Amino acid sequence: MARVYQVPHHAFGWLVAGTALAALPHLLHGPFWLQALLPLAVAGRLVMQRGRLSVPGRGLRVLLLGGVLLGTLYSHGTVLGPEAGTCLLVGAFALKLLEMVRLRDAYVLLVLGYFVLATSFLFYQGPLAAAYSLLVLLCLTAALPGINRPEAGLRSAVHGRLAAVMLLQALPLMILLFVLVPRVGPLWSLEFNQQRARTGMSDSMAPGEVSNLSQSTELAFRAEFHGAVPPPAQRYWRGLTYSWFDGRRWSQARPRDLPQRDYVWFAERAGTPPDWAVDLLAAREQGPELAYRYRVVQEPSRRNWLYTLAVPFADDRSLGLVRDMRLVSQQELEQRFAYSVTSYPGLAGQIPLADGERAFMLQLPEGFNPRARTMARQWRDQAASPQAYAQRLLNWFREEPFYYTLQPALLGEHSVDEFLFDSRRGFCEHYASAFVFMMRAAGVPARVVAGYQGGDLNPLGNHLSVHQYHAHAWAEIWLEGHGWVEVDPTAAVAPARIEQGLEMALEASDFSLLRRAGDRVPGLRQLRQQLDYLQFAWQKWVLSYDQTQQMSLLQRWFGRASLMTTGLLLALGAVLIVLVLALWVLLRHRAPGRTALQREYRAMLRLLRRRGVAVSEALPPRKLAGQVRQQWPAAAALVEQWARLYEHSTYAKAPGGANVTGDTKAPGIRRPKRALRQLRRRLRWVRGPGAARTVQDAS
Amino acid sequence: MALVPAWLRRWHRQWLARRMPASRSQRLTQKRIFILPTGYGLFFLLIAALLFLGGINYENNLIMALSFLMVSLFMVAILHTFRNLAGLLVRAGRMLPGHAGAEGALELVLHADDRHPHLSLWLHWPQAPREHVSVLPGEEKSVWLQLALPRRGYVRPGRLVIESRYPLGLVRAWSQLDMAHPCLAWPRAVPSEQRPATGGEADAAQRTRQLAGSDEFHGLRRYQSGDPPRLVDWKAYARGRGLHSKEFVDPAEGWLWLDWHTMPGVDAETRLSRLAWWVLRLAESNQRYGLILPGGTLPPGQGPEQQRQALDMLALHGQPAEEQF
Repeated sequence: MARVYQVPHHAFGWLVAGTALAALPHLLHGPFWLQALLPLAVAGRLVMQRGRLSVPGRGLRVLLLGGVLLGTLYSHGTVLGPEAGTCLLVGAFALKLLEMVRLRDAYVLLVLGYFVLATSFLFYQGPLAAAYSLLVLLCLTAALPGINRPEAGLRSAVHGRLAAVMLLQALPLMILLFVLVPRVGPLWSLEFNQQRARTGMSDSMAPGEVSNLSQSTELAFRAEFHGAVPPPAQRYWRGLTYSWFDGRRWSQARPRDLPQRDYVWFAERAGTPPDWAVDLLAAREQGPELAYRYRVVQEPSRRNWLYTLAVPFADDRSLGLVRDMRLVSQQELEQRFAYSVTSYPGLAGQIPLADGERAFMLQLPEGFNPRARTMARQWRDQAASPQAYAQRLLNWFREEPFYYTLQPALLGEHSVDEFLFDSRRGFCEHYASAFVFMMRAAGVPARVVAGYQGGDLNPLGNHLSVHQYHAHAWAEIWLEGHGWVEVDPTAAVAPARIEQGLEMALEASDFSLLRRAGDRVPGLRQLRQQLDYLQFAWQKWVLSYDQTQQMSLLQRWFGRASLMTTGLLLALGAVLIVLVLALWVLLRHRAPGRTALQREYRAMLRLLRRRGVAVSEALPPRKLAGQVRQQWPAAAALVEQWARLYEHSTYAKAPGGANVTGDTKAPGIRRPKRALRQLRRRLRWVRGPGAARTVQDAS
Repeated sequence: MALVPAWLRRWHRQWLARRMPASRSQRLTQKRIFILPTGYGLFFLLIAALLFLGGINYENNLIMALSFLMVSLFMVAILHTFRNLAGLLVRAGRMLPGHAGAEGALELVLHADDRHPHLSLWLHWPQAPREHVSVLPGEEKSVWLQLALPRRGYVRPGRLVIESRYPLGLVRAWSQLDMAHPCLAWPRAVPSEQRPATGGEADAAQRTRQLAGSDEFHGLRRYQSGDPPRLVDWKAYARGRGLHSKEFVDPAEGWLWLDWHTMPGVDAETRLSRLAWWVLRLAESNQRYGLILPGGTLPPGQGPEQQRQALDMLALHGQPAEEQF
């Protein structure tokens, strides 16, 4: 039975708080056995510290560790990867608290605490998580000086203050490193748990899917504009297009005879760009009038498509520009991802429609929706142009009793027929789907576009917050001489949806589906805007700070940005900071320990001298009062009262002093130090001794 | 230590001697303080490096920030640990002799100036147990350090190691000071049947012949360290004749002369050891005794002072002059 290492009493609180708080975030998402293990370990340690329990023997410790291993396997199916790895780590960490038998174990526990704390950032990255981690850091760091002072009888607060000072002193160097250390890409690829759900738009769309998405208040992305923000009716965030219809479901697809490298163009990859991209780049060179410059910070979607306005050009050369005017990333977004984009809405007409592509954009499955097909053919024959036909269709949507609702009727086999002629209740995907169907049936190339429409403008940050409830589907048709033209049939049915947002457009019965009652409370809305701004600033400056931002920052500050400048700045800055710190640490000193009463006495001396009273050093308070009576009679009464109280307090303090019985405190005064301070402060309002002196001079 | 070649160790010793010459009072300045990470410090940095890699790989800026904070904290810890040692004044204090083969103790006085505390210091002689002490601003603390005494005479303890890992334990600041603070080792006490003495009751004749009266002044002899101040002839000293101690002899009782010469055929160390044992024994029974060595004579006396003088004399017998402090 090993003797338990007794953590010094004054360090114990910090140690337990630091380790428990470091592990705590993991309990929020960890398996149940981990949630039980940590409190048990903390409780066990508390009992051991009192000497009521001995450290578990080696056999038991091995058994416990094996249990943690098995538990991890049971809960995660593996011990590898971030989730399982942290689970195992936290489990072993909790056990370490139990088996702390030597000073060495306490060190290992605390240093591991920093690691455990860091792993919580894999799961929580908000400003709140960062603030919390500062608290944990304080506890862990305060425990270190604690275990380094074996003597008893110290106050724990001393360690806390020291840790706070040291962390503050470490901050400047940390910020320098954070800003200037070059960021490189991942060294090896890492897979997050595949079980995590994908959110946002999917690569296919069936009726009812977008309306489901609309009920989520989750954030999809934020876009910060440099310059003008597009008006609400032009905030069409294109994510992907659906060109393939199987009668029920629209899917993302690429014409068979269009090779991948003609379809997506990655600027960073070798080889000539496809013809359409060359044309687009050339058109961009001529400087289109309308351009939006913005930076998107997209929440992890586990998809590789990005959300931009048409026609987007990314600063990041690793992103691909797709023929249907949108951006894709090479990997799925496992983490929050930021990209800067310039969009030129005017360039949409530049994209050609190849012959094979035309047939593809007219594709419809045989045997579905006969009524719609017949009507489409009739109306097209009656219309002078595709535009006129499209306009007639939109007018029809507007004039007939079509409803925009989150609760559409269930549709059967001929979904378009049933929607157009029977139910007439639908969400955006119903209108987009029906519209594109009618276009294709009439020989007009068309496709469905999916993404988000709108965004809540946060005036604090000049940014739009786009949530899942902004999810939207609309249509694009190809017109000779105009190219791809955006048509939103939902706008015909419910113009308010586009201009004012979902809430304004919905029927009253739909409101219960929207969990956003808070918006109606005025103060709450503002608070939410501020929080949103804080979060966005945090994301922009801290979470998604990357090499691009680093370089542009350097460019702005120093006019040049290269690895060389970064290195030089880093070295210079570090030396400077360490020098300043060294001076601070080595020269800073606290006044030799005085008691509160001594400090009070010195403060009184200072005050009297400031007011021109010549008083000598180290007088008993009563003599001091005597000097004041001669030189500053107006203050004499106060100072005498002060002196009496001072002497009372001093003698009450003296151990074994004569004044032990009865009159230990001045009558009626419970907190003498405070009373002394108050008396001294009242002197400020007493007229100075100067006046008295003039009288003496005159006499 | 055994892995370091002898020439390197010698070179290191000489380098230390040049850098920090022996002195009985030394202030810990930058020149005298070394600083290196401890094992925990390296572990701490390893964790920071792992976090940096993890931060890069998961493209997680917060993990990276924590890794940077740990590195910065390490730098700050270096400064604080250095500061914790810097400015401390170390003085050689008193000495507690012991018998060879046993332990003596040396006192060190640590003095902090008014500005900085020096917390959680550990002091030890090479290969000796360490002592913990904290010195607050303006405080003076004395620390007694045990020292093994391998042989008779003045034993140099080697360089005093004074170290601190406070506050974080991540770095260790230390100094190695030659305090010029030797410890006197009395001869090992070895019992012997034969009393190596002359005189005693039989010497009564000499006693009466030599002196009469109590505590009579007998003469002056050169001052020896350990002589009680009241015996020093201060008048002579004031006249510039050097330090001399007055010798008194108490003629009232008989005494023994513990005599080096009574043990023919025995080697010198054994003679000293036997004499030391007899000094202890006579002191225990509170007898009067004197000591005769080839190099000098201790007049008869009794009590702790006499014992101390006799043992010191035995300890220093035949020691080279420069070894005597």
